[in-house]
Amino acid sequence: MSRPRAAGTVSGLIAIAVSAVVFLVPFAFIVLTASKNRSESALRDFSLPTEWAIWENFLAVVQARDYMLLAAFVNSTILTVASVAIMVVLAAMVGYVMQRRPNRWTPLLNALVLAGLIIPPAVVPTIWVLQGLGLFRTLHGLILIEVAFGLSFCVLLFRAFTATIPRELDEAAMIDGAGPVRLFFQVVLPLLRSVIVTAVIVQSVAVFNDFQNPLYFLPGDSNATVQLTLYNFRSQYTTQWNLLFMDILLITIPPLIMYAFFNRQIVAGLTSGAVKG
Amino acid sequence: MFSKPSTPRRAAATATAVLTAGLALTGCSTGGDDGDGTLNILMDNSEATGRLMQALADAYMEANPDVKVELEIRPGGSEGDNIVKTRLQTGDMPDLFFYNSGSLLQALAPGQTLVDLAGEPYMDVVTDTFKEGVSAGDAVYGVPVGHAIGGGVLYNLAAYEELGLEVPTTWDAFMANNRAILDAGGAAPVIQTYGTESAWTSQLFVLADNYNVLAAEPDWAEEFTANEAHFADTPAAAAGFEHLQEVGEAGFLNEDFASLTYNEGLAALVAGEGVHYPMLTNALTEIEATDPEAVDDLGFFALPGTDAANHGMTTWLPGALYLPQSTEDQDSAKDFLAFVASTEGCDAQTADVSVIGPYFIEGCAVPEDVPPAVAQLQSYFDAGLTAPALEFLSPVKGPALEQITVEVGSGIRTADDAASLYDEDVKKQAQQLGLEGW
Repeated sequence: MSRPRAAGTVSGLIAIAVSAVVFLVPFAFIVLTASKNRSESALRDFSLPTEWAIWENFLAVVQARDYMLLAAFVNSTILTVASVAIMVVLAAMVGYVMQRRPNRWTPLLNALVLAGLIIPPAVVPTIWVLQGLGLFRTLHGLILIEVAFGLSFCVLLFRAFTATIPRELDEAAMIDGAGPVRLFFQVVLPLLRSVIVTAVIVQSVAVFNDFQNPLYFLPGDSNATVQLTLYNFRSQYTTQWNLLFMDILLITIPPLIMYAFFNRQIVAGLTSGAVKG
Repeated sequence: MFSKPSTPRRAAATATAVLTAGLALTGCSTGGDDGDGTLNILMDNSEATGRLMQALADAYMEANPDVKVELEIRPGGSEGDNIVKTRLQTGDMPDLFFYNSGSLLQALAPGQTLVDLAGEPYMDVVTDTFKEGVSAGDAVYGVPVGHAIGGGVLYNLAAYEELGLEVPTTWDAFMANNRAILDAGGAAPVIQTYGTESAWTSQLFVLADNYNVLAAEPDWAEEFTANEAHFADTPAAAAGFEHLQEVGEAGFLNEDFASLTYNEGLAALVAGEGVHYPMLTNALTEIEATDPEAVDDLGFFALPGTDAANHGMTTWLPGALYLPQSTEDQDSAKDFLAFVASTEGCDAQTADVSVIGPYFIEGCAVPEDVPPAVAQLQSYFDAGLTAPALEFLSPVKGPALEQITVEVGSGIRTADDAASLYDEDVKKQAQQLGLEGW
């Protein structure tokens, strides 16, 4: 009886040790490099800095290019919150209807959702469309683009999860007199909670970390998102590694906080959504 | 539970719906601004460009208080090329932009997207060498920013002094120096860096040899562009690949060449772990930024060829400012260009940024107290022993050269094979450009 338990404890400890090495060592490297002065950081050694310059680096990063990082955090926050909110609500509606009411159009719609995952975006035609709509160089234009690129994945997630909600609940609500809108928002949406959390987390990270789309669709220093600020310190020939890593450190903190808070829901949401197709 | 929905729930549902609809419409709108006394300039994110452009912008704003110059950065490398092309094609380019001269400029289709500056009075003081690098046909498109760059070998002065070596003027003398350094032990004779994002450094043996190619074959560039001469069937041109193979086979390279990066290579050169590093002289900017005193420990010589009496240097042109046709306020943009192409412009650059080579604007002087490597670079210009790199004489440059030279340096591919493979590689680009004879 005690044998297997001891073995379990040992393997658990090993797992903790391995994950600590895999996750904490790179993080320690980021923190250490972010605390060094420029010439020391250029060596990129895993070592303690001879003099700690963490505050100077922090100021340099925040003040770089006329406080670009602060504007970038505001932009990134608006972008992430808005696009994920739209994505989740739309995807929940689409996923719910597609799962509950299959008809002869469903295969076509499925193909379209899959196409959204498979077909890569083309930059110049997309810019033409945005220019035609007057949305180019605007944050809401970029929000719509992020929604378009993230929607397919969310729809698949929600459709799979809706299958786990008993149809009897819908019927009971309808017998009680709920219309379609109330049925969706008051009965179904609360039950989708765990998959909503999953979609929010996955898409927030994706949108927050997105580099390519803001780079091409939202040009201009005042429009920068946080990932674009990395290019303040990194170029083809020269790189300020200490400032680059400080920037990375600052950018990493918001997603890190999200993971710390929603850790349990992510795992629950991912596994429960995966059971039934 | 369902028959009596609580008010907070309903409120929450409504709020969600409203929030979703509302968020799509809000968000701060920031459009491009034009014609309000602001001059927007797009430039790459390298420190050197940033400091030069900032110096020019500050000096210009001081002389013209009613104009505000705003600098916007973009990534460098192939991502930057994509951005410049995308923004030109969509008519979204700022009033002016900074970009490479030479073959990269040709890829922008300058005739369709840029304004011809050939008739502008301020272009008279720009040297002809530079104009050749920013021309297509009779049209001239760019105003130079920054200093001339030399391609050759940066070397560690202390190591040369210790071993009593002299600057080699022929390839054989260079190899003899390498042999002496190897025999003395302790340092690698030649640094090569093929690590992450540093593969471009492998091209120097080939690209910086262009002076020697032109010395042997004066019509090389024209014939190469016309598909009449090739690397494989021109011995002088193939020599660059052979030299790289020779240093590799002789065991002159640092042991960790396959993983070392460009920055680490520079650090190794400064620390004396390696003695020679074939490189462009704008590396001095990076060295100075990392360790300001290290610049004085380095020397520079051009990549030697066969003739000691004709030991000259291959030069690179700095980038230039270009005026897109989409710019609405052409006059204020041209006024800024006139300032850049004047002695006030280069004085502003000299005041704020360390000079690493001569200017391409007539009447611009280089200060006396420059680091030794820059003085050596200047001596080639003073003696008139310079020739532009091939990419400024011909629009044809294959995209895979750095991969090919990495293979040669690593001993995976022979020099002959590499030269013919590169001839195949340039064919694709020449056909894309629609050149005659391909």
